[in-house]
Amino acid sequence: MSTEHTKLVVIGGGPGGYAAAFLAADMGMETTLVDMEPNPGGVCLYRGCIPSKALLHAAKILSEARDAKEIGIDFGEPKIDIDKVRAWKNKVVSQMTGGLGVLSKQRKINFIQGRATFVSSDAINIKKTTGEEITLTFDTAILATGSTPVTLPFAPSSPRILDSTTALNMEDIPEKLLVVGGGYIGLELGTVYCELGSTVSIVETMPVLLPGVDRDLGVILENRMKKHFSAIKTNTKVNKMEEIKDGIRVTFQDKDGNLSTEDYNKVLVSIGRKPNSKNLGLENTKVTVTPRGFVEVNPQRRTTDPKIYAIGDIAGDPMLAHKASHEGRVAVEAIAGHKVAFEPQAIPAVVFTDPEIAWCGITETEATAQGRNVKVIKFPWAASGRAVTLNRTDGLTKMLIDPETERILGVSICGVGAGEMIAEGVLAVEMGAVVSDLKLSIHPHPTLSETVMETAETFFGLSTHIYRPKKA
Amino acid sequence: MLTEFKIPEVGENISSGTAVKINVTVGQAVKKDQSLMELETDKATIEVPSTVSGVIKEILIKEGTRVKVGQVIMKIDDGAAAAPVKPVAAPIQQSTAPASKAAAPTVAPAQAAKGASMIIEFKIPDVGENIRSGNAVKINVTVGQAVKKDQALLELETDKATIEVPSSVTGIIKEILIKEGTKVNVGQVVMKIETGATVPAAPAFVPKTTAAPAPTVTAAASQPAALVVQTPIIVTKEVAAAPSVRRLARELGINVGQVAGTGPGGRISKEDVKAHAKRLITAGPVSAAVATPPLPDFAKYGEVERKPMNNIRKKTAEHLANAWSSIPHVTQFDKADSTQLENLRKKHSTPEKKLSITPFLMKIIAAALKEFPQFNASVDMASGEIILKKFYNVGIAVDTPNGLVVPVIRDVEKKAALDLSQELNTLAEKARDKKLTIEDMRGGTFTISNLGGIGGTNFTPIVNWPEVAILGVARAQIEPKFDKASGQFTPVFMLPLSLSYDHRLIDGADGARFLRWICEAIEKPTLFSELG
Repeated sequence: MSTEHTKLVVIGGGPGGYAAAFLAADMGMETTLVDMEPNPGGVCLYRGCIPSKALLHAAKILSEARDAKEIGIDFGEPKIDIDKVRAWKNKVVSQMTGGLGVLSKQRKINFIQGRATFVSSDAINIKKTTGEEITLTFDTAILATGSTPVTLPFAPSSPRILDSTTALNMEDIPEKLLVVGGGYIGLELGTVYCELGSTVSIVETMPVLLPGVDRDLGVILENRMKKHFSAIKTNTKVNKMEEIKDGIRVTFQDKDGNLSTEDYNKVLVSIGRKPNSKNLGLENTKVTVTPRGFVEVNPQRRTTDPKIYAIGDIAGDPMLAHKASHEGRVAVEAIAGHKVAFEPQAIPAVVFTDPEIAWCGITETEATAQGRNVKVIKFPWAASGRAVTLNRTDGLTKMLIDPETERILGVSICGVGAGEMIAEGVLAVEMGAVVSDLKLSIHPHPTLSETVMETAETFFGLSTHIYRPKKA
Repeated sequence: MLTEFKIPEVGENISSGTAVKINVTVGQAVKKDQSLMELETDKATIEVPSTVSGVIKEILIKEGTRVKVGQVIMKIDDGAAAAPVKPVAAPIQQSTAPASKAAAPTVAPAQAAKGASMIIEFKIPDVGENIRSGNAVKINVTVGQAVKKDQALLELETDKATIEVPSSVTGIIKEILIKEGTKVNVGQVVMKIETGATVPAAPAFVPKTTAAPAPTVTAAASQPAALVVQTPIIVTKEVAAAPSVRRLARELGINVGQVAGTGPGGRISKEDVKAHAKRLITAGPVSAAVATPPLPDFAKYGEVERKPMNNIRKKTAEHLANAWSSIPHVTQFDKADSTQLENLRKKHSTPEKKLSITPFLMKIIAAALKEFPQFNASVDMASGEIILKKFYNVGIAVDTPNGLVVPVIRDVEKKAALDLSQELNTLAEKARDKKLTIEDMRGGTFTISNLGGIGGTNFTPIVNWPEVAILGVARAQIEPKFDKASGQFTPVFMLPLSLSYDHRLIDGADGARFLRWICEAIEKPTLFSELG
């Protein structure tokens, strides 16, 4: 077995790992990137954000075509060639991961396809996909191994039980699909299957979908989903799943203990993700792993082992690609000796449902939990001209403001395109903008972004499109 | 003395920069903290302040020159003969918590002690001059919470800064009388804290460290230095500063949470961070050295009483501490045969009105100051000038029940000794009756401190800034004096004198000459007929 040496090894080629490796190479470090796939990309590109967004785009075309009937345009029933849809989705993935492979080569990064395990604080063993095995010693390592879906222990081993990865493979469009878990992954994939023709039900143990998301935003989404989804079972647990002919028989238990059973062609289990900190040989290093499986890091993303850094899902919540990329860049700069820290004021989160929900900074739910005094200002999209022209007034723009300084502490939006709009909120929070800054910035007309400006105007009780009688 | 001014350390990752602008020219007088040049680094353009006051003697670089940290770029004459100060540019220090500047919170017992426990009314302490009120922007504790002495109870936002207000006692929060966002006044009771046996005693020393030490690691940017172990600054509070500004603060080793923002809603700008950095460069490690460590708990060893300083005591403390630290002192000792002066004093004394030798010494001083004008002067380090005064106003240190005061007698050279004695008595009486006006104590050019009435063989007075010299007078003793002519010892009064002077302006030889001149004047028999 041969032994090689590298200055920096990045383990895991997802959006955190490849961003770190690319920056390191750009800064002149000799860099090795290890991943199981033939190209960088990780879960995000191969099995997550990107393929799901491609399919959600297809779903959006279908829903808009259907809604078009309301305004006098009827396309008739859509004909869906699922093989072609899948092929297109796969093309998107291969185009992007292939592009990353080229970018990696151009930067002269030593990309190794294989699985890495730590043998000590300064060496890893790599089993390459070719079968070859090497020992790689390093000056510094960045751990970016990401996360995997949590499984239900009582679920039978069956191709009819899907997780986010197999659901994205789109083998077929099941007639009846149950989504277990009302989090963002379940709702996004449920939306895809629903629009492609499945009868979709959702089951969630908590009283609401998207637990933790502000209710006034969540309820807008729930109202629309109720129209298209077969059933939304909240406060309900899945007790049992058994494989039957042509499907899975699921036993539910509601909050009063009542049991019921229903048969589905397929079941998607999307109850969360867990960090990939096992089977990495971390016990051979000084890295500390928390009981939840996260790796302990300092503000520079250095672990308790001075030579090892950790970024992305494995370094803690929120498990989001854009948080991982930012952490990756911070870690590399720290390794280069720059005085930097991971210190965002706002990490945006987007649920790509229809309508979308997006937020950044502090949310109303968090402010209430902390007992923090904030001023909450809302602007309903019924007062937005653009929302009316889109026939989508089911939206709300919300702003959380510090009553003392009038600083924007958080922005939350529900509505079509909320994911694109939230970037302005991130900038406002990060820049320490005060509410007047947003009020006094001219926003283009007619766009949904005007709702941000008008929310700010509402803070002063002077919104153009909302009349509020003066208090006597 | 010529000071070599070096490029100071402006941040751990900054080893060099470009001198984009030089703000001074050769021959120009500069003050301490005045910007000498603008240094452009990869991160920011920083104004480099002078560490001394003086005159630019030489500029060793040109605008646009690449300079390194530690490189000598200017020579500055600070005007002192052999300045004991070696000005070396100070590295940026993590500033101490603003709370440490705050005066000790005032505590008033709210009710009589029940057994071992007692409820203390916690008042907003006096946090600094001119600050009467502020906003309690954050309350860090809740009712029922155990707190230690010096633990931050709340954050007080004043016009000047946000200050953490530390607890004056260890105990349990019984009641919080304000809400976050409430405006509070200095002296206002904001919490009630129960102290007592149930609470572990506070440690005598509670380190008030709110800031992590500045990281001290450099590494080549292109190389991952495996064993680089930085301790990043932990910013605990939410700050209104753009990401680029927060990044700049880290690069300069500054805790952005300690920077006062001047923008809307307290937003911190790049300029705010640079101004903070500049202050730290200027203050340098000196502030850390001068910072008084916390006092031990004396009550552990016996009964103590705390009482407030009166205004005279506070002013004396401030004034003398300033004089002591800013003036390089030298004290010269001598003795004068004051037998004839004693005779003169006795001759003019009556049983009702006893004369002191002070008025006679004042006359001699006035004459000496005319002879040695640099002793009747002040030093202007900022402009690099000596200010010679053409008037002779002598201050006399007067001991009163309230403390030390120094009334000034004007135009001493124009007045007769007996008139001076009269005026001195009037002023001393006013001083004891607390009737001195500010005007009575202003305008002095030289000071005499006569402790002879009490005793002592000698002492080292502190120069009364902005004057440059002070004469200390101890008690005259009868000593044998050898007379060459008769070959015999005769008993004479020998008067011990000490002269403390500002060595920046006065050389040792001049100090000795000046005091000798005074001694000879005292011994000169015909002097007072001449002086009138």
